[in-house]
Amino acid sequence: MTHSAGLEDRASGMKAGRELVRFEGVTKRFGANVALSDVSLTGLSGSVHAVTGENGAGKSTLMNLLAGVHQPSAGSIFLDGQPVVLDGPRAAHRAGVSTVYQELTLLPNLTAAENLYLGREPRRLGLVDRAAMRREARRVFSRLDMDLDPDTYCGDLTIAQQQMVEIAKGVAVEARVFIFDEPTAALNGPEIEKLERLILSLKRDGKLVFYISHRLDEIFRFCDTISVMKDGSHVATRPASELTRDMLVSLMVGRSLDRFFPHRGETGPDAVTAIDVRDLVPVEAAAPVSFALRRGEILGLTGLEGQGQREIIRAVAGQIAPVAGEVLRHARDGTSARLTPSPVAVARAGVGFVPEDRKSEGLFLPLAIERNIGVGMMRRSSIWSRARIDRNRLTGLLDSMNVRATGPRQEVQALSGGNQQKVLIGRWLAAGVDILLVEEPTRGVDVGAKSEIYMLLRAFADDGGAVLMTSSELSEHIGLCDRILVVREGRLVAEMPGAAATEETIMSSALTGAPFQSHAGAAA
Amino acid sequence: MSDTAERSRGLRLLNMATALPIAYAGTLILLLCAYMFRPALLSPLLLLLIIRQAAPLGLAVIGQSLCMRILSIDLSFGGVAMGVSYILTSGYIPGGEGALIACALLFGAMVGLANAFFIVRLRASSVIVTLAMGLLLTGIVIAFSQFRAPGDAPALLKYIGQSRVSGVPLAPLIWLALLIPIAWFLKRSVLGHYIDAIGANPRAALATGIPYGGIVVLVHVASSLFAVFSAFLLVGFVGMGSLDIGRDLALNSLAAVILGGVTFGSGRGGVLGPAVAAFMLTFLFNLLTSFGLGEPSKLMLQGAIIAVAAIAYSARTKT
Amino acid sequence: MIGRVRSRTSRSGIGIITIALPLTMFVILSFTASSFFTAQNLGNVGNQITALLIVSLGQLIVAVSGGVDLSVGSMLSLTSAIIVTFDPAIVIPLAIAAGCVLGAVNGLGVAVFGVHPLVMTLATATFVQGLTLLVSPVPGGVVAPAIEALAHGRLFGLQPSLYWCTAAILLCWLLLSRSAFGLRLYALGANPRNASLNGVKVVGPIIACYVLCSLAAVAAGIFLTARVSTGDPTIGAAFGLDSITAIALGGVQLSGGVGSVPGVILGVVTLGLATNGMNLLGVSPFLRMAATGLLLLGAVSLQRRKTIGV
Repeated sequence: MTHSAGLEDRASGMKAGRELVRFEGVTKRFGANVALSDVSLTGLSGSVHAVTGENGAGKSTLMNLLAGVHQPSAGSIFLDGQPVVLDGPRAAHRAGVSTVYQELTLLPNLTAAENLYLGREPRRLGLVDRAAMRREARRVFSRLDMDLDPDTYCGDLTIAQQQMVEIAKGVAVEARVFIFDEPTAALNGPEIEKLERLILSLKRDGKLVFYISHRLDEIFRFCDTISVMKDGSHVATRPASELTRDMLVSLMVGRSLDRFFPHRGETGPDAVTAIDVRDLVPVEAAAPVSFALRRGEILGLTGLEGQGQREIIRAVAGQIAPVAGEVLRHARDGTSARLTPSPVAVARAGVGFVPEDRKSEGLFLPLAIERNIGVGMMRRSSIWSRARIDRNRLTGLLDSMNVRATGPRQEVQALSGGNQQKVLIGRWLAAGVDILLVEEPTRGVDVGAKSEIYMLLRAFADDGGAVLMTSSELSEHIGLCDRILVVREGRLVAEMPGAAATEETIMSSALTGAPFQSHAGAAA
Repeated sequence: MSDTAERSRGLRLLNMATALPIAYAGTLILLLCAYMFRPALLSPLLLLLIIRQAAPLGLAVIGQSLCMRILSIDLSFGGVAMGVSYILTSGYIPGGEGALIACALLFGAMVGLANAFFIVRLRASSVIVTLAMGLLLTGIVIAFSQFRAPGDAPALLKYIGQSRVSGVPLAPLIWLALLIPIAWFLKRSVLGHYIDAIGANPRAALATGIPYGGIVVLVHVASSLFAVFSAFLLVGFVGMGSLDIGRDLALNSLAAVILGGVTFGSGRGGVLGPAVAAFMLTFLFNLLTSFGLGEPSKLMLQGAIIAVAAIAYSARTKT
Repeated sequence: MIGRVRSRTSRSGIGIITIALPLTMFVILSFTASSFFTAQNLGNVGNQITALLIVSLGQLIVAVSGGVDLSVGSMLSLTSAIIVTFDPAIVIPLAIAAGCVLGAVNGLGVAVFGVHPLVMTLATATFVQGLTLLVSPVPGGVVAPAIEALAHGRLFGLQPSLYWCTAAILLCWLLLSRSAFGLRLYALGANPRNASLNGVKVVGPIIACYVLCSLAAVAAGIFLTARVSTGDPTIGAAFGLDSITAIALGGVQLSGGVGSVPGVILGVVTLGLATNGMNLLGVSPFLRMAATGLLLLGAVSLQRRKTIGV
């Protein structure tokens, strides 16, 4: 696609068509958490409409309402001027909304044609009319300029091809609205061009394509309209031609940090290294990563969602076996040893891992608090030995962490999110580890507990411990971390002291890999 | 927020209802039934005999409950019992009683290791692996016994199986002697805590650095060894080898464990619950026999118990 | 990240081992057992594997959807007991009704209550076996001539077992490979969540699978009872594990989504030849039992699973 054609599309942006989708005063609450607040947004036919914003801004929630995954707590959704109730994914399909998620929903053991027609197979004499299915599939594929044999099993297709089949599903049911969630995450250059052609052909057919993405280059390349969400509210919707990269970034960030953070650590340049990561390649085809984690510091791995932070921290924690590279652990007594990538070895070596999903990967919900914490205390004991849970130390710990529970015997599943998270961290504090690897330290935790957890981590570091953390909340990194590493596509693209970091500087590196230019300065 | 609170209240009620092992209430009901219809069964002599009869099941139940606590199962007890019975009585293996008993224990350990290999290394389903193993062992033993019939049991085992200590049969005392230390060990040791953790959340156990695979191997070896002990008692009771030994052991132990409050991943009934359930089942079968109901009702009851209990426990964990 | 092109997927499950096994057996037996390659023996083999084939095809339907059914053996035995115990006019409808009830119970336990299929069907298997012994405690009894004829006497010069096999194969193949129901079963077996997102119902089809499987066991029971002309309450004992061995050898993945009728045929032939071979070579029937156990262990090692345990 040439640049001029793109410009033409962009210029005709907002005038292209009639209103196809309208969100009016939409609010969505999950329990006490307000994910969307009074959002009103309009999408037109024949338009490629970007929906963008920081992590947790609400863009996925908004699109999930359209996809029927959730229902609005207040407000209404209109399709083609008619109010609709989308009480499930199937209702959304019937209403003409087709979603292509990052996690594709194809069945690998069915062919492309079968996947296309699963649930509404053409029949003949009571049996599936395979010839008709094949014919129709071929027709849809050729309409989308896809060169694909309908009899190929989807397990054999590349991710790019699988995505195209997902798109074809929507076209086959004559969907009017398409939602793409980070479609190019797994694609290479030529495949992205193919996707671009597909999306533009949908646009030509008068469809509305909602495009959720973090990749600014793509947004400016494919989309004619851009909507920005921030903290659950709709900030602005402008034609792409009216915005620059930096303007976009500014619209996305910039709020007051009203959370209470503890003081920063004082690690001078002569601080002792606790962990040395050398040329670590966490997964196949990732870039090698090297950095050092020092005693007394809280180091943050940040960036946009899914850029590789999780893989890096899990590789260091031994939860996944890295493809290459090594992790050296320097103990307090001066000895150093290579950290074997297995959870058992890592725990024995005095490194604690706190996973992001505490319910499925971290806590033993039906067991008591003292059991959940006790398990950490035993990490060095032989399995045949007596289980020693120092009750005094335990209650002291629970008190100092301000865990609200009826007692150490209470089942963890009865605790609130914040208290559960404290118990999980407490497991390692009680175990006496001196290095903590934490994913999402305050996910699903209320504001009060968040602050307490920050204090915990700070105290741990001040005591000579070292903390490596990932979090999707930028404010946490800025408020808590002494040092921040920005990750983009598996690479460390920036390093900055926490005290000097701002949301703009982090987002800029996260989005583009380049340092932030204030918007009064040169355009991207 | 409110409907999750409601759900958790209802859950807590269901929890409480199913938490008290059915075995306790069940035993009381059965004793009451016996009092009303077959009071002869309640004579101390018969009761002691029934407890003695329950001892082998009780031992197997210990092994089975360990397996179920870590989300596995062992259905190869029948085959192991037959193998042990044959080793002890066929005369194939030279040596004194000590050697025979050592051989039997070794045999049990190897079966446990073999089971564990398929389950941990190859990740095959425990049910199918242990069923297949049982089939394999049973087939081999019966085939061999065509050439050399099982003979007399070693004197030591006959002594254990048939003698009494001031009126109380030795067998259940041995059962108790193993039961109590094991209960204590599971409660107090690191291994016991790890087993609870694995049952509660295997993924978290792995992530926290608990040696999951190793513990599964250990549990299966232990389970097979308990089957061996069970077979020792059974052979001792009968006084000679038999091809009928331990046929029901696997399914009965499964039913008893579930009745005793232990289910996949949960050790709520402790070690005492399944033990009481072992007695309850044995008493129930005796009661049924006294009413003239035989094998068919036994089987139907076993099946019904397992199905109903499994449904109840699945419903509980299915929030 | 660039998507890698994977090796050829197929959902038939037929691989080199699946084809090589029966062929190798055939060749070995032709050379080592003198009476193997005779019309009479091959005819016998055909008869022997008919019941196993029918049961295994039923097992295939359940396996494709991701489950497994250990109660088929007991159902077969129950059918046999029913045939010799009740009025010949009602035995077949009665057996069919029993099969439907058993299948429905299994399906409800698995799909609605979430009980593990192995535990659920093990429980019902035990229950039904008890019921069978209640209905007919000892082997014996008379099979009505009308029913006997179903497995004896030739039609157009061909053995009845051929007709039974053909009918079962045709029905199963049409169901799995050509109907929408079958396609959705494959989807459910591969990924229940994705299947459901694509509009496939979960509970109904799974219950239907277990009902069909029990009905297959009933059909096999009718054939077998007619064949041996007498009742036997334990005639089906081995079929549970045997059918699982056969389908596993035939490339069916017990975790769901992979398997096909030709594969099952190959697996049943392998098992049938193994049994026949052991017969001809004079191997003790109990060593045959052991060999089945070994084969099952081998077959189950070919499966790919992620969980440790049940």
